[in-house]
Amino acid sequence: MRRKASLILLALAVFFAALSPLLRWYAFPRLAKIPANQYQDMVLEAKDATLLDYNDGMKAKKVSKVTIVQTLRGNVEASEQIEKTAGKDVVVWDGLSYVQGPDGAMVSKIPERYIFDAHTQEPVHATGESVDGDPVKREGIEFKWPFLTEKRNYEYFDAQARVTAPIHYKGTQHFRGVEVYYFEQTVPWTKVPFPKAMPVAGITPEQIAKTGTTRWYTTVRRFWVEPLTGAPVYGEEIHKEELRGGSLLGGREKVTAFAGHVKMREDYIEHTVDLVKSNRTLVLLLTSYLPWGFLILGVLLLALSLYLEARGRHPGDPAPAETSQPEPVTA
Amino acid sequence: MRALIAAATGLAVAFALVLTITAMGAPTGTTSPKPLLTTVPAHP
Repeated sequence: MRRKASLILLALAVFFAALSPLLRWYAFPRLAKIPANQYQDMVLEAKDATLLDYNDGMKAKKVSKVTIVQTLRGNVEASEQIEKTAGKDVVVWDGLSYVQGPDGAMVSKIPERYIFDAHTQEPVHATGESVDGDPVKREGIEFKWPFLTEKRNYEYFDAQARVTAPIHYKGTQHFRGVEVYYFEQTVPWTKVPFPKAMPVAGITPEQIAKTGTTRWYTTVRRFWVEPLTGAPVYGEEIHKEELRGGSLLGGREKVTAFAGHVKMREDYIEHTVDLVKSNRTLVLLLTSYLPWGFLILGVLLLALSLYLEARGRHPGDPAPAETSQPEPVTA
Repeated sequence: MRALIAAATGLAVAFALVLTITAMGAPTGTTSPKPLLTTVPAHP
């Protein structure tokens, strides 16, 4: 009986001991992925910003607030279509950055399509990848870091300039009870295209291009990223845009189109931190809690199995008592 | 010999379980019907 129990315990010990590395290094990389149907919105605000007034002599004015509403919607049908040729799990995010002035009027709206590997966040190049209707070929990451983010610089795609540049790891910090990696990217003054949707009806980017006026942009982009999930829990941008040269500015060399310190709205920060904390626990379950738990359980079961086996073989053990047969009775 | 069989059984079951779970994966679901926002939401 002891031998049988020790064999069962041995099988269980090997089962749990094997499950430990399998979960961490085989299952986790395959199970951890961005869902194809994710929908997410985000509100960012730039208080006391400078904004160009197109209706009042193209003058830059101080405004109380500029609001940026950013939506990302996973396009499941498009991702399934691309997966057929890509041969891997793909996520297609249709995004919109909608910028609104203090009076609620549209300042700009830039749609984009971002296609990436659901597990690694590496960009996937397929038809439809675009920013503001223009085809692009992204390199690097955008919006989100990979699972198990490392303490190193990453390549980050800038949708305004449509270029990829390093975003630098600048240290580990704590943000509202979460350990985060702080990343920063500076995009120097760069000539960028006008948005297709202009704030004044009837004006198109082509018409502005004819005046010789160009649009320039610089930003300092900051992200506080939770490293297990790769999700930013907070983000900021010190963003400046200028219009330069041409006949549109009435002889002026340049005029500020937008300048502001863009920050996530407080309720969205709280929501994001809560969401990331919850997802972090799931990642920890697969990368730490379960693998270590199973390994310890495996060792304990193995020890118990060996103990039972040793007791079963111990020479000092009393021999099992023989059952006495009743003597036959003769008549 | 019986110990070897027991260990091999444990190992095989662990592999089978993990391979099954990863092969099943998660359902992809459908595209959200919610729009790309052009108004400021009151809350997340």
